[in-house]
Amino acid sequence: MRYFGQKLIQLLIVVFVVTFVVSLALGAIPNAEERIIASTGQGAFTEEERNAILDEVHLRDSVVVQYGHFVKDLVTFDWGVTFGGNQPVRESIWDGLQISLRLMIYAQLVALLVSIPLALLAAYRNGGIFDRISTTVSFGFISVPNYVLATVLGLFFTVQWKIFPALSKNVSFFDSPFDHFKNFFLPTVVLAAPLAATYMRLLRSDLINTLQSDFITTARAKGLSTSRILFGHALRPSLFSLLTAAAVNVGALVGGSVVVETAFNMNGLGRKTVVGIFSSEFRLVQITVVVLALVYVFINFLADILYGFLDPRVRGARSV
Amino acid sequence: MTSSIRTRRRPGVLIGAVAIAFGLVAAACGGDDGGSSSGGNETTAAPAETTAPAPATQPPADDDTPVPGGKIVFGLEADTSSPWTPSAMVCAISCHMVARTVYDTLMIPGADNVPHPYLAESVTPNDDYTVWRITARSGVKFHDGTDFDGAAIVDNISRHRSALLTGTALLDLVSIELDPADPMTAVATTNKPWATFPWYLTGQIGYMASPTWLAAVDGDAALAAKPVGTGPFVFDDYKPNEFYRGVKNADYWNQPYPYLDEIEFIPIADGLKRRDALKAGDIDALHINNGEVITEFRDSGEFNTIEVTKNGETTYSLLHVTKEGSAVADRRVRCALANASDAATTNEVVSFGVYQLASGPFSPSQVGYLEDTGYPMVQDMAKAQELIAEYKAENPGELKIALATTTDATNLVIANFQKDWWEEAGVDEVTIDQIDQANYIVTALLGNFEVFQWRNHGGVDLDQQYFWWHSSSALPVGSLALNFGRIKDANLDALLEENRSTLDPARKQEIAEEVNRLFATECYNLWGSYAIWLIASKPDVKGFAAANLVLPDGEVALEGSGIAGTFYVSTIWKAS
Repeated sequence: MRYFGQKLIQLLIVVFVVTFVVSLALGAIPNAEERIIASTGQGAFTEEERNAILDEVHLRDSVVVQYGHFVKDLVTFDWGVTFGGNQPVRESIWDGLQISLRLMIYAQLVALLVSIPLALLAAYRNGGIFDRISTTVSFGFISVPNYVLATVLGLFFTVQWKIFPALSKNVSFFDSPFDHFKNFFLPTVVLAAPLAATYMRLLRSDLINTLQSDFITTARAKGLSTSRILFGHALRPSLFSLLTAAAVNVGALVGGSVVVETAFNMNGLGRKTVVGIFSSEFRLVQITVVVLALVYVFINFLADILYGFLDPRVRGARSV
Repeated sequence: MTSSIRTRRRPGVLIGAVAIAFGLVAAACGGDDGGSSSGGNETTAAPAETTAPAPATQPPADDDTPVPGGKIVFGLEADTSSPWTPSAMVCAISCHMVARTVYDTLMIPGADNVPHPYLAESVTPNDDYTVWRITARSGVKFHDGTDFDGAAIVDNISRHRSALLTGTALLDLVSIELDPADPMTAVATTNKPWATFPWYLTGQIGYMASPTWLAAVDGDAALAAKPVGTGPFVFDDYKPNEFYRGVKNADYWNQPYPYLDEIEFIPIADGLKRRDALKAGDIDALHINNGEVITEFRDSGEFNTIEVTKNGETTYSLLHVTKEGSAVADRRVRCALANASDAATTNEVVSFGVYQLASGPFSPSQVGYLEDTGYPMVQDMAKAQELIAEYKAENPGELKIALATTTDATNLVIANFQKDWWEEAGVDEVTIDQIDQANYIVTALLGNFEVFQWRNHGGVDLDQQYFWWHSSSALPVGSLALNFGRIKDANLDALLEENRSTLDPARKQEIAEEVNRLFATECYNLWGSYAIWLIASKPDVKGFAAANLVLPDGEVALEGSGIAGTFYVSTIWKAS
């Protein structure tokens, strides 16, 4: 419980720092006032009109007042509308988050489903043909930038063979499961390939260490089957690095899939953030950064809790 | 080798980036697309009063009989990312494409280079062109059932007058009021003879939105994303950077248009990705100004293509010619930079050489185009060095010039070419400032630059360049101004004003040519090339030629409708 409490306090501190810095970011932008006026695209000839627009974003208020307004708007979901298009920011972020979350979940699932059995096999036959081939292939996937993979896959699977769409749409699973997977397939593969390779390398390495432990030797001496040793005894204590990497990648995938989202024309949260920065959508960017930070912090908080579940020594060590 | 390939693969990025940078101010430009006026005291735009010779050729109308029905998906170069209320739209080419689905303009440029009434029944001036009566076409309703009448015109144009950007284009409009004797007529009064005023009704300022909807937007800004007009397609759905969809307006006033049941626009910023989307079958048509893709489509024959070159834009380097303490305020330095530059090389390296090099702001079909304006079209380094040496003799000390470009890699390639040339000419140091897109536009508006990569000045008549170049738009550095280069030239002002007040084609031609030569003499800008737009579609998707749109008075529409890269959505049809 104390371990949980410590982690929760850390989480709240990070959330405070992120929201505070983000709330002040607007004022730090060069030509902030002029950019805000210009971004509206609307009449603001009089000083009163100009002041009204600037007052709305609290740019001229004190730091504390700015933060207070920001937090109030944040928790009440009063996120306003975008300057460009007057779209509700809440709606825009929710649309983007759905795409990014789906991509993240699919990529993680595919990566884990591919990497765990491969890592088990490679570690069990450490130094064998399969281990050497899988190691080489995984290094290949880690080294290839995802925009290259996206371009190559796109060229063959969309332009040449026309199997998958070049522009991936956010088709709902419930509307059409087939179209849903057809649209998410290539982006998922591009995201999952380097992840799977990384996960495989990490898990293989940890498994090799675990398989050299005394308790594995004991298990072997007891005549347990290979699958029982691998899945029942070796896997769980070897998941530490994999879990850490997967947790870090959750946040990175939600906000950092810009290249893949751009390559397949998907309007996920990462792409929205970048486009928002270049089109002066200050409010959208502010809220998106906070949402991404919250997702990131929360997932890592869960990972910390999960560490304690995987290995009780962690709980004990931290709470002593 | 690798470097060469990478450089050649990205021409569209440069143009696209500059186009986006131009997007903000294109709102004002879009408001006054077109050039010369019509005039006459009884009807709006008598072809006899055309201000320029009719184009020799334009893509002909389709021979096939259009088939109603079907849906197409069109790949745009950019999302508009602004409210859809006409006075607040940041309207570059892609914006006009979408806007034309839901809105009609009061007038449309005809193939005879004269604006013709479209949603307006008539637009009629008084004798000295200071009062214009704009009469609404009767029986037309907005998509929400609101009547289109004189009050709607007054409401729409009044909003433009107070708008940040389009308002600048209407500084000479004193008032717009409803005619008390005729509820279908709005009366516009100007502070000086404005013979070319109808051209301002062919673009953004001419789009008519429902007053009921506009009032609703005043109370709830989120409604600005759901436009209501009189156009051929009724708004259906829009998600920024994803799609805009319109469905057929079955009660459209100008039958038999539109032919399609549905049209969807998808913004795909990357030109090569747009091409791939067409090849993969994800989209039915696209527009593009990427040199590589234009070359590819020219050769392939796989798709229907139309190239729109008339009245297009010019790519150039914009100079801040009145910046205090800046060397580019000196004519000799400006002309030295012009002589040192080699547009042919950049055109070849980044654009496959598809573009025609520019001799001035006006492309070949525009009034005032001259093959030889006196501007140095070929690099003359000796002349450049001579001019710089002369300047330095009078102005001792280091000569430094700041060149602004976007964060795009290809723009940077061009900037580096320029840096090398100008330093070879004798400039001690050329610094390259890469500025992000959003700040790029504001930087131009504020005048915080010396040299700026840019693209602009499409259109038919010189009058649409008025606010880009007239000193009344050259506000001090630090104020938002559409005369980015802060040109303050009494001769230029006089020519622009005379052009605004006359409909005499011969005189207008002379004025525009004089302006062209003046730009060359003063080296106000460093000209690059004239833009080309290509529209490509699947073989069964037809009707993109402007000549397919027959206006109410029987004339057909002008190619590119005065805005290169665009078309009329109501004329598109699908054979299958």
